[in-house]
This record gives sequence, structure tokens and C-alpha cells, in this order.
Amino acid sequence: MSLSPDLKQRIFSSLAEVPAPTRTQVRRARVWLFGCGVVGALAIFFLDGGVRMTSRPPSLVALTSLGTAAIVGTGMWLLLTRGRSALGRPVSWLLGTALAASVLFIGWRYGVSAHYGEIAPWPGRPGFRCLALSVATGALPLLGALLSWRRKVPVSAVATGAAFGAGAGLGSALLVDLWCPVSYLPHLFLGHLLPIGVLALLGGVLGSRLLRLAWR
Amino acid sequence: MSPADEAMARYAQGDAAAFDAVYEGVAPRLESYLRRHVRGTTRVEDIIQQTFLQMHAARGTFNVGAEVFPWALAIARRLTYDVGRKARREEYRDMRDEDDPDARAEVAKVVASGEELLEAREIGARLSAAYNRLSEPQRVAFELVKTAGLSHAQAATVAGCSVTGIKLRVHRAYVALRAALDDARAPVPPEAAVSSRAGGLLPAGGRR
Repeated sequence: MSLSPDLKQRIFSSLAEVPAPTRTQVRRARVWLFGCGVVGALAIFFLDGGVRMTSRPPSLVALTSLGTAAIVGTGMWLLLTRGRSALGRPVSWLLGTALAASVLFIGWRYGVSAHYGEIAPWPGRPGFRCLALSVATGALPLLGALLSWRRKVPVSAVATGAAFGAGAGLGSALLVDLWCPVSYLPHLFLGHLLPIGVLALLGGVLGSRLLRLAWR
Repeated sequence: MSPADEAMARYAQGDAAAFDAVYEGVAPRLESYLRRHVRGTTRVEDIIQQTFLQMHAARGTFNVGAEVFPWALAIARRLTYDVGRKARREEYRDMRDEDDPDARAEVAKVVASGEELLEAREIGARLSAAYNRLSEPQRVAFELVKTAGLSHAQAATVAGCSVTGIKLRVHRAYVALRAALDDARAPVPPEAAVSSRAGGLLPAGGRR
């Protein structure tokens, strides 16, 4: 059996009806969408107080932030890009990256703070403000990433959305790290680690609706 | 990189003329895969057309240097799944569908007698049952590697898992199907054969 001779003709004539941006145009649109999300996140961050040193030594802030930036940057790169494949990284890779980056980030923050003796409990700061700020600052870049990939993901749309969410969560963790002086472990779990999970969950739910291919 | 991969990379960057080479490189392999999984030429062609439209619309997301066929196949599988879900399971073809003229012709070529035909059908039915008992990930992995002819790495990309995962699933599927085939070909004790035939599977008269 072979394809009917007019199929190729039908396909080629229908191409004109479907907009097809080139790689350059897609890249520009993505930078624009994701950039808007990042600018929105920065606006929320600075409206909520921006960088706060409080009683922390500047070297502690610098050290935690630089280490966090390296961990978060690597994690975001692995979670938000696709490597050499046209279909993205395997789900196991995404899951492993999200978990490893989150654990490393919390470990680094806690370890450096412990070295400086800055891990005392803060009973009045359970972490809900950090949770809210992290989710708020992470939501906009997540939305930008999801919109830039809308209806373009043929496999693992949920996992891709969740990876975007985890990536956005890691990005927001970097900002909140500059804002929050508390390194008490329960606070770190609630206010800094949980938002990454919340954003990953949100990304997975939205990804299943926004990213999946739909019949044209 | 195959010529189709290079053509798709050019097409992604805006070279409209390159789509012809993409079509020539991808369409026959897609057709071969879809004919095994979708009933009806019209449906197969609809899915192929839709796959190329999706590839065209998403050309800007194609990574230069990536392979185009696994990407096209992943899109086609997604569309096939949507079609199948809408039309329920009857839109899917069994591996050995008795109503399928191609499968019947294939069987008719290799069997010489009515009894052999019945035996072949029995083996086919057992294999089909064993195939349907495979887990979904095993079935997908087996289809991608053994029927679509993808490499383990390509199949892993399409299925969204690791290469080791694909190898493991294919191996387990192969072992299960091999066991079912050995079981179906095993000599049947005379009493069991009589009771089996009395059950209506084979006509009375014994197997040669």
C-alpha cells in the first residue's frame, strides 16, 4: 500500500493556512514572553522589599546567593531547555534534576548559614510569607514559559509543564534567598522548598492543558 | 544526520523549499508505522497530513542537529492516540485482526492447509492475547523499536524515558511474547488436544 498521489499536494497547499514562525521568530517571541515574566517577578520582588540584609553578614548573603545562583542556573538550564533532542529531555532526567537542584539549594543555604551560626529558630517566621512570595514571583515566568510552548509538546506535556514549574520555582528561590534572612530548617522547607513543589504541580496541571498538541 | 534531518533544520530556519525533502524522508516511514496501528487509508492519510501541519506550525521549535523522524513519530502517535480516544478502541487494529485483508493475505501465503491455517490463527490469537497483556510502556517500547524500527535512543526520546528503560521494556516484552509463542507451539498431549477440539477451537479429526 502507498499514500495517495494527491496527499503531498493536499499537505503542501494546506501549509499556507497555518502560521509557521521560524526559529529566529520563535526565539524572539520566547525571550519576550519569558522576559516579561521575569520582569513581572522582579517587580513583585522589589515591591515586597527587595534585597534585605537584616543582621546577616554581607559575606554570608554573597556566598549563599552565589552558590544558589550556580545551582539554580544549572537546574533551570536543564529544566527549561531540551538539549539536542527535538522532544526534550527524558522524564527521569527532569525529575532527577528538579529533585537534585532543590536538595542542593536547601543544603547549600543551610550549610553556609550553619557555618556562620545563623540557623537559630525564628518562631514568628514559619515561612508562609516566603512561600507566598516564591509562588508569586515564580508564577509569571512559569506562565511565560507555558505560553511560549503552547500546543507544541507531543510527549510528556505534564512532565514538561512540571519541569517549567520547578525551573520557575528555582528562579524564584534565588530571589527570595536575597530577601529572607531565616535559615532555620523547618522554615526553609516550608518557605523555600515547598514553593518549588507547588510551582511544579501548577506547571504540571497547566501543562496538561496548554502544552499538549491539539488537532488543527 | 540524515538528509531529512538536515532539510528540517533548513526548514526551521525559513527555507520553505526544504519541506519537500522532509516529506520524502518522513512520510513513507510514518505511513509504515501508522498502517500497523490505524484502520483505513483515509484515517492514515488524515493523521499524516495533520502530523506535517503540526511539524510545519512548530518548525521554529525544532532543534538544529536533532533527528526529525522521532519528532514526527511522536507527533503522529499523539494524534493517533487522540483519534483512537475519540473513536474508542474499535478504531485500533489488533495485531492479527481477522477482518484485516492484509493480515489474511499474509497468513494465506504461508499456510498450506486448513489445519495449518487454524493452527496459525490459534498461535496468532495467543500472541495477540500476550501482546495485549503487556503493560502499556512495554507495548509502546516494543512497537517503537521492533515495528517502527527506531534505535533505542530514538525510542527513548519518543517515549520520554531513559535508554536503559527502553531496553528493559523491550526485553521484557520480547520475553513475554517469546514465552507465549513457545507455549503455543508446544506439542499438545492427545487428551488435551481432544478436549480442546471438543471445546470448538479445532474440528474433530486430530492434528497432523
